[in-house]
Amino acid sequence: MRNMSNKTDLVGKSPRATIKVKSRSLIIIGVVLIILAVIPQIASDYIIYVATIAMLYAVLAGSYDLTTGYTGPLTFCHGAFYGVGAYTSALLTLKAGFPFWVAFPISGIMVFFFGMIVGYPALRLKGHYFAVTTFFFAHFIYLVILNSQGLTNGPLGLRNISPPESILGISFKSLQSSYYLIFVFGIAAVVFLYFLVNSGIGKILVSIRENDELAEAIGINTSFYKVLAFSIGAGIAGLTGSLFAHFFRLLHPTTFAWMTSEMVVIMAIVGGLGTLFGPIIGAGVVTLILELMRFAPELRFIIWSVALIAVLIIEPGGLMGIAGRIRGGKK
Amino acid sequence: MSTILSIKKLRKEFGGVHAVDNVDFTVDRGIRLGIIGPNGAGKTTTFNMIAGAFKPTSGRIEFKEKRIDGLKPHKISQMGIGRTFQNVRSFKGLTVFEHVLAGNLAHNTRFTPKAEQYQEVENILEMTNLAEMRDVTVQNLTIAYQRRIELATALATKPELLLLDELMAGLTYVEIDKTLNLLRHINEEMGITLIVVEHVMKVIMELCMHIIVLNYGEKIAEGTPKEVANNPIVIEAYLGEEAEYA
Amino acid sequence: MVFQQIINGIIIGSSYSLVALGLNLIWSITDIPDFSQGGIYIIAAYTGYFAVKLANVPFPVAILLGMCAGAAIAFCFERFLYRRWTGKGRIQLLSAIALFFLLANLAILMWTAKAKFFPTYLPGSVSLFGFMVSYQRIVVLAVSAILFVLVYLFIQRTKIGKAIRAASQDREAAEVVGINMSTVYSMVFMIGGALSGTAAVLISPLYSVFPTMGELPLLKSLVVVVLGGFGSVAGVLVGGIGLGLLESLGAVYISAAYQHGFAFFILIIVLLFFPRGLFGKV
Repeated sequence: MRNMSNKTDLVGKSPRATIKVKSRSLIIIGVVLIILAVIPQIASDYIIYVATIAMLYAVLAGSYDLTTGYTGPLTFCHGAFYGVGAYTSALLTLKAGFPFWVAFPISGIMVFFFGMIVGYPALRLKGHYFAVTTFFFAHFIYLVILNSQGLTNGPLGLRNISPPESILGISFKSLQSSYYLIFVFGIAAVVFLYFLVNSGIGKILVSIRENDELAEAIGINTSFYKVLAFSIGAGIAGLTGSLFAHFFRLLHPTTFAWMTSEMVVIMAIVGGLGTLFGPIIGAGVVTLILELMRFAPELRFIIWSVALIAVLIIEPGGLMGIAGRIRGGKK
Repeated sequence: MSTILSIKKLRKEFGGVHAVDNVDFTVDRGIRLGIIGPNGAGKTTTFNMIAGAFKPTSGRIEFKEKRIDGLKPHKISQMGIGRTFQNVRSFKGLTVFEHVLAGNLAHNTRFTPKAEQYQEVENILEMTNLAEMRDVTVQNLTIAYQRRIELATALATKPELLLLDELMAGLTYVEIDKTLNLLRHINEEMGITLIVVEHVMKVIMELCMHIIVLNYGEKIAEGTPKEVANNPIVIEAYLGEEAEYA
Repeated sequence: MVFQQIINGIIIGSSYSLVALGLNLIWSITDIPDFSQGGIYIIAAYTGYFAVKLANVPFPVAILLGMCAGAAIAFCFERFLYRRWTGKGRIQLLSAIALFFLLANLAILMWTAKAKFFPTYLPGSVSLFGFMVSYQRIVVLAVSAILFVLVYLFIQRTKIGKAIRAASQDREAAEVVGINMSTVYSMVFMIGGALSGTAAVLISPLYSVFPTMGELPLLKSLVVVVLGGFGSVAGVLVGGIGLGLLESLGAVYISAAYQHGFAFFILIIVLLFFPRGLFGKV
């Protein structure tokens, strides 16, 4: 398959192996964080919901980038991991009586291992087979959720999921406090990903993306690292799903149909694969615009499909790629 | 001298074509061995089998007396064999420093690389004359530089045996001389055994202590450069068709 | 009862085979798993529906219209999009998926999510082995069979067909010999689009027309391509009908809820044991 050796086609013209957060970017990050921190104090409930969705998607897109942006394989099942995490957490609290603070880490760990079980055989597939399989996998998970009436209530969905229990005297019953929980989680997740991506492990992942064969030849166990990245990404998506379930307190299978995975992909590519902050920014931008267009739901998805194609035509490296071009690229 | 690599009755078939047919040879630790032969003789296929990229159809490959045929490339690299590729492979998006560091990290994977690791990379960059380019992105460099970077990266993996596949192809005489000096240094000062596949005769004659000649997948001759150069079988293999028309 | 399921299975299976034949051609020659065929399927179905509903055209004309719509859209996608990214397989795959997404949502936007019922064009049924099989179902089988034969003959006997076969074996060699790859690519996409379009119009009277009708046939056909093997017309035929039968009978004897999940299982099992596909041509 001649097409498949090039995994760097989606990375912009000046790919960066290490993210150097410059002082200019730090200021922007600071501003964004301050805005996010202040929202629950001054904005309406509706805006708080939107901001929460944006933060959840930001973590999804960032964790997606770990596999597809940093290590290379294109996947279309991130939404499925999100859903499995959400349902697992909800069911653990609703039916098994676990407290949220136990269900939350368990969801993450379970989805991590789930990712490993799926990834280990799947990542051996050559050519487009892996990507196509993840597409099928996402659909299959949706089918399972939809049809396990006994467990998940199927199309009726799960309701009355309880919010996280109070901890250290902080109650999470209110909208504002739940928001801050997700805010803190978001920061923690991004910081974790940032350190991972800039570590020795991150450099190895990038090597695999840049040239799978050479990476293997210099002694990198590419299978191991691909599965690792895939599983970590899945695990983080699982944790995110758990938070989603306990924030919105009701779950429905269609929330995790293949369109969710597709939206994560769009956010990551629009932002710029392989840059961590690109997909995060992409998530913010896409969520914002989707909400601005909430009066025309079908139009929203059409616009984003067109936008994705436009990005692929103009600058496959996404927003970060455009920023790189403006900055003049590396000589 | 101990044997570092031994190849026994090695065969590789691709759907009826015998790319490598019953090849035997041993390599002593510390020598510089050359493998030559006309195009399609099976040289790169042999390399690929030693390095683990291909599984032999039959035969044995032993490295440091341990059997390695059929193992995965990364395992073989971890055991101490490094290689370069005929058509240059590189991590295009990385800088030269990051590229060589990848080789080092692959054999000493840590969340936070130690200072010594960075120093080791610096040393290799110095030795291979790449220190000035350390921050240049590899895709912006010429093939000649990319070859050197590939070699430097392989050195960073601390190999005991290095397989070099047509490293000198397309280089100018000046570049060839520099690389020859580097290779001699690697072999004599660092004790790395070299196996070199080459078409450039100057390189083979000056660098190699021992030569193996392949043709149509079979070993047809073996010996010192002088012996091989004067071997009528070898001469015929290279000049065969032309001699007929002469 | 079993006989009914078998008939249904063969019929739905033949529609999978049709779409899979086109997908197979495209994927084996251009390395693109063309997800947009799922979207083309949808648009062609609506084209046929409106032609019959609004302009009262006879059914055969509706089939032709669906065929042409499919071919035209596929041609445009290849010519104006996929071609830009030669050598960038992942971008091509992404754009194919985006196009599918786009067409499906376009259908929802333009024609609402409510299913539309295709008027019966050939009422009545015939008695077969003591069971009634509607004429419309037989038409699906007949037209599919004819198309399969036509495509097979086209590939084996015509000049362009030979060029396509050469390209599927060795792209570079074909170019060196002077075969115009852009013509081959256009041809292959048009055939694929035409086949998907035809399958869509054929199936519409049986199962109604709705905006998400392309997703499942697309997924099933992808499995059939992996099963049937690249470049094998017979394999696609057998694979498609086999899958249709499995789904139909499986819905009764194994699980109705996971009827659509069987395809996924087959895919997983095949790829687990044959990571390069059943015929190893990846």
